[in-house]
Parts: sequence; structure tokens; C-alpha cells
Amino acid sequence: MVATDEELVARSMDGDVDSFNQLVLRWERPIYALAYRVIGRDEDARDVAQETFLRAFRALPGFKGQAKFSSWLYRIALNLCRDWIRRKKRTPVVDMPEGVDVAELAAEQGPVESIEDLVARQEMSRIVAEGMKLLPDEQRTAIVLKEYHGLTFQEIADLQGCPLSTVKTRLYQGLTVLRRHLESQGMTSYESDRQS
Amino acid sequence: MSIKFTCDDKQTLISYVYGEIDHETRQAVDAHLASCHACAAEVTALGDVRSDIGLWVPPDVELDFTIVKKSQLPPANVLRPARWWNTVPVWAQAAAAILVVAAGISIANVQVKSGPEGFSVSTGWMTPPVAVAQPVSVPQNDDAWRAALVSLEQQLRTEIRSARNDETRVAAHAPGDEATLRRVQQLIAESEQRHERALATRFIEFTRDINMQRRADLMNIGRGMVNYEDQLRRQGQMINNVIRVSATPQQ
Repeated sequence: MVATDEELVARSMDGDVDSFNQLVLRWERPIYALAYRVIGRDEDARDVAQETFLRAFRALPGFKGQAKFSSWLYRIALNLCRDWIRRKKRTPVVDMPEGVDVAELAAEQGPVESIEDLVARQEMSRIVAEGMKLLPDEQRTAIVLKEYHGLTFQEIADLQGCPLSTVKTRLYQGLTVLRRHLESQGMTSYESDRQS
Repeated sequence: MSIKFTCDDKQTLISYVYGEIDHETRQAVDAHLASCHACAAEVTALGDVRSDIGLWVPPDVELDFTIVKKSQLPPANVLRPARWWNTVPVWAQAAAAILVVAAGISIANVQVKSGPEGFSVSTGWMTPPVAVAQPVSVPQNDDAWRAALVSLEQQLRTEIRSARNDETRVAAHAPGDEATLRRVQQLIAESEQRHERALATRFIEFTRDINMQRRADLMNIGRGMVNYEDQLRRQGQMINNVIRVSATPQQ
């Protein structure tokens, strides 16, 4: 039977490092993905994710369980991302991983996806990443937390420290900017909308 | 009381798009969308944006973060700087220690005396003893001990004398050092003069190069001007010819 986060946290607080490592294994990818989408750099996202778990481990004795462990991790990670953006004083840059061989990737994907589909998907991914880059930090973070991590409006409001209505406004405005960007890049679904 | 949804209510619209909405409000939005094509199109477009957003996937990297306690870490292979005395052989350390002791004795001007009143040790910094303090009593009948002490005294005196001679020799080297210092200063002065000369030479060469380049540029410009004047003259002649030809009455 798989232990819940709360059980692993309790064991970790009793000094069981292996339990904490299970939590790390469970949450390292979502935290990395969050950092990557917020700050947009692979190496820096790794650093942020690693620092998140180190800080969480050090601060574990102070974790009272008033929030979910994942929310607590997200909060640490977002604070680190915010620090990173402030320190670098620059807009997040989304860089595509270097040295990606499309043919090799297609082979890994199996016979279902053709190279053309894969190239098209990568191109759309790049366009979306560019659109995310256009958004202000708060809007981008709200969309990332909602779309990729499935947080509720209230959870996002708690993490961002703002009212629920502000979260909804950020989401609406962010999605609208993205919609315009995707339209300008000729994404097919919007073209069909315009035709209808 | 029924809920009424209007086109301006974007917060309710976004709640509808994400499905975080109560049943009654959802019904109100559905009713509005059935009659308002603009809002219906916007909801569709936002849904499409959401599906496209899902295409953005972070790179698939190996993370494998692991927390390891310090006590579980293997001993680090950290290179530490060796202590300087560990590199000196033991015999050299012993020799150095003896030298230090001997130098200390010579500086302190240690004097060892043995007489009928006993055995005493004093330094040059001490005021002459008014009375010998606590003489070590030596058995009068022990000639062997006395002989040994005398020989020790002589040995120490010899060593102290040789140490003093060494000091004198070192002091004698001082004038030689001054000469060396003067020589070094002279060499430095010569080197500085050489550098100054080299710098002046380079500056002269640089100025000469600049002048030559300037002269060459002026010649090129002059040549260009001559060509330009030739062209102008030729064009003027051509224009004159054209005017002349055009002024000639056609037959």
C-alpha cells in the first residue's frame, strides 16, 4: 500500500530520511515542471527544484500540516522562482532543449506519431511557450498552477496571496493574451473559428 | 431568485470554463450562451487555448534528487595544504633545533661556572650576583664528577665562541650586501632606461607610419580629384556636343 504524503511527512519528521526521499521522488517532477514553466530555463529550473527540496527538508520541523504538503512545496518553489526572476531582472526565457533529434524522438514515440506530427507538435509547443513569455509573472504563474498542476482558484489565491477574484481576472486576461498570440501565429483551431 | 449572467461577467465566465461553478450559475451561463453567439464563441476559443496550452511540455530530464545525511556521506577527498614542517626531514629539524638553542645561548651570553662554592649558570643580561644563590653542592670527594663538569664547561665555551664567530662572519657580509643592493638598483635603473628608449622608438615609428599613411591617403585623394575633374570635363564636352547637335537645324 502506497503511503500518503501526510504519512511520509510524519515519518520524515521523526528522522526517517528515506521517507522524505520518497516524497522527493513523488514531487520532483511536478516541482521541476513548475519551475521550468515559470522561469523557462532548464538548468535554473533544476536548481530551483533542488533548492526547494533542500529548504523543505530543513524547514520540515516547522511544518505544522495546516496546508497540504504539495501546497507547501509549491509555495517554496514559487518563492524561489520569484527570487530568481527578481535577481535576474529579466523576462523568463523559454529555451528549447538543445540537441534534440526529431527523427530520434519520433522513433521513441513509436509508430503512432509520424515525424510530421511530431514536428508540428514541437512547433505548437514553441508557440505556446513564446505566448507564455509575453504574460506578466502573476498571470503566467496563475495559468501554470491552474493548467498544469490542477490547483483550485482558492489554492492559487492562497499561494499568490491575493483575492479569489484577482486569480480569476489573471486567468481570463492571461488566456485572452495567449489566444491572441496563437491567432497571430495561425494556429488552425482559431482559423476555423474565424471561418465559422 | 434566479441568477442572471451578463456578457461583462468575465469572472463567472472563467469559472464556467474551468468548471469551478455551482449548478445554478452554470444553468444561467448555459442559458445565456444559447442566445449570445459572441460569448459562446469566446468560451469555445478559451477552451481551444486551454487544449493548446497542454502542448507545452518541459524537457524530459533526469532529476534523481536525494537527500543524504552528512553522516552517510563518504569521506571527502579534500586536499589540504601540507604543513611546512612535515616536508622537512627529521635530521634537519634536529639540527635546526640545536642551532636555535646555540644561538639562544650565545645571545643570552650564558656563562657556566663551577668553583669551590658550587656549580652556577648565569646570562649576560643578569646583574652580577651578589651572592650565589643556592649553590648546587657537589661532593668534594667526587673527582670524576668535577672533571666531567669542567670538560662540559669547556665544550660549551667552545661552542659559544664558534657561534659568536658565525655572527661576526654574517655581520661582515653586510657591506657586500650593500654593494649587491647598489648593483640591483643600477640594473633596475638601466632596465627602466631601456624601456623608455624602446617606448620612444616605438612612438617615433608609430608617428612615422601615421604620416606615411596620411601622405598616401592625400595622394589617393588628389589622384581621385584629377580623375573626377577629367570625368567632369568629358561630361561637359559631351553635353556641349549634345547641345550643338540639337541646335543644328534638321534637314
